[in-house]
Amino acid sequence: MAKILIVDDEEHIRFLYSEELADEGYEVITADSGYQLLERIAKEKPDLVVLDIKMVDYNGLDLLQDIRNKFYDLPVILCTAYDTFKEDMKSIAADFYVIKSFDLTELKNKIKMALETKLPQEEK
Amino acid sequence: MPEVRLEENPSNITQADMVVAIPSYREAELIAHPTTQAARGLRRYFSDKNAVIINCDNDSDDGTKEAFFSAETEGVPQIYISTPPEVRGKGNNFHNLFRKVVELGAKAVVVVDADLKSITPQWIKHLGEPLFNEFGYVAPLYVRHKYDGTITNSIAYPLTRALYGRRVRQPIGGDFGFSGELARVYLASPTWTDAVRHFGIDVWMTTLAVNHNVPICQAFMGRPKIHKAKDPGADLGPMFSQVVGTIFDLMAHSAGYWMRVKWSKPTSIYGFGLGEVEMPPPVKMNLGVLAEKFHRGFDQYHEVWRAVLTPAIMNKVEEVAGLPDENFDFPTQTWAKLLFDFAVAYNKKVIDAEELLASLIPLYFGKTLSYARKTERMSVQQAEEFIENECMVFEETKPYLIEHWIT
Repeated sequence: MAKILIVDDEEHIRFLYSEELADEGYEVITADSGYQLLERIAKEKPDLVVLDIKMVDYNGLDLLQDIRNKFYDLPVILCTAYDTFKEDMKSIAADFYVIKSFDLTELKNKIKMALETKLPQEEK
Repeated sequence: MPEVRLEENPSNITQADMVVAIPSYREAELIAHPTTQAARGLRRYFSDKNAVIINCDNDSDDGTKEAFFSAETEGVPQIYISTPPEVRGKGNNFHNLFRKVVELGAKAVVVVDADLKSITPQWIKHLGEPLFNEFGYVAPLYVRHKYDGTITNSIAYPLTRALYGRRVRQPIGGDFGFSGELARVYLASPTWTDAVRHFGIDVWMTTLAVNHNVPICQAFMGRPKIHKAKDPGADLGPMFSQVVGTIFDLMAHSAGYWMRVKWSKPTSIYGFGLGEVEMPPPVKMNLGVLAEKFHRGFDQYHEVWRAVLTPAIMNKVEEVAGLPDENFDFPTQTWAKLLFDFAVAYNKKVIDAEELLASLIPLYFGKTLSYARKTERMSVQQAEEFIENECMVFEETKPYLIEHWIT
């Protein structure tokens, strides 16, 4: 069972994602900010991170940079209410992005694809 | 491969931590600028390293060597290396470079083009610094105009990404960094070909870095790449064949690798914080000429295409050719399958490789025309998203390639 870390400062989003993704069979853990996120990732070892771009105290694109530099191949899916973030080239370090919606079909599809992504060096 | 190397090393440099290399052929007019900027970058950001600037030349007869040595380098030593007279090719210059890098024991190498006008000292920092931080290959990330780099956008990027699973946006960018260790890998590779010795070198280096699991990052350059204007009509043929031929050659060598790749992954990005991103200058595209070259190619290569393409894709191409100019559309999935058909035919030697690659050029013009029409009203950013979506189509279509490759 893949473990997914949801990072979002809105409680109802964390709740919605947790419920729906748990129903899909994923183990879900959450964080309400970027505070000590890298330490959390190192400790919890999620298989994928769903990351909000605009949090009150943290810029998700900066967090994405930090994650990518430390956990080179950890899949990260950016979530945002607005697609203007794409003007920032930092966003290309994400595996995918989705626009926030109460219909999580797109998010679930992207999670599936990101977890399916396979490079030969990762084969066990 | 040139085994004879002409070298001038006035400072008798025998060891270096870091090399900035500038490959050239007849660049006397422009080489001083990147040389000086490279020296400033080395002095400003790598003052604790023993560094050298190397001009790898094709025995230019226009005074390139003299212009290189006359450039202001703030005391950074310079070495000039050349292929023997009459031996040309960017890849041959790189072969000389790899040997020199190994001789010097350098840990990091940054390469910049000799005709670069927009280079700043920070480019050296951004291409070099990741090499001292666990990365082995650094590809450039520029903001480019939507009509600039069409071979990259429609062939090199989507193909290398779908094949090898790593998203390197500028696999033939021309400016990059690599480790001394990777120079040894390049030197020892059994995949050198005549195309690699010429313009195939860039995509070859990127592909080998990916296939050898070298940690790759993309360095954001902040400024667009502005270099000497080239006449695309005059230069395209050999360059196109060498780049695409190298991609196809490497597919045969690494089929065991790319067949196991599913989807793709991003890379780390390095080098933000340069302030406001400078937008690239506009690039004009003559749609009438593209249409004319596509249709002329249809008449000239119709039978070749019939031998190379599967009947379904040939039918699609005939449909596309029948479209009026105002509705011209080359569907991305057709383009992806067409390129995969060409790769398969190249591998199976269905026809002469040179003729096969030449026959792909008018189809590429047709695809470029279609891209230009679809992105006409798009911003640079929107066109970038369009290309990303096209890459996803390539990845989704990859099972078609695998099926045809193994049958």
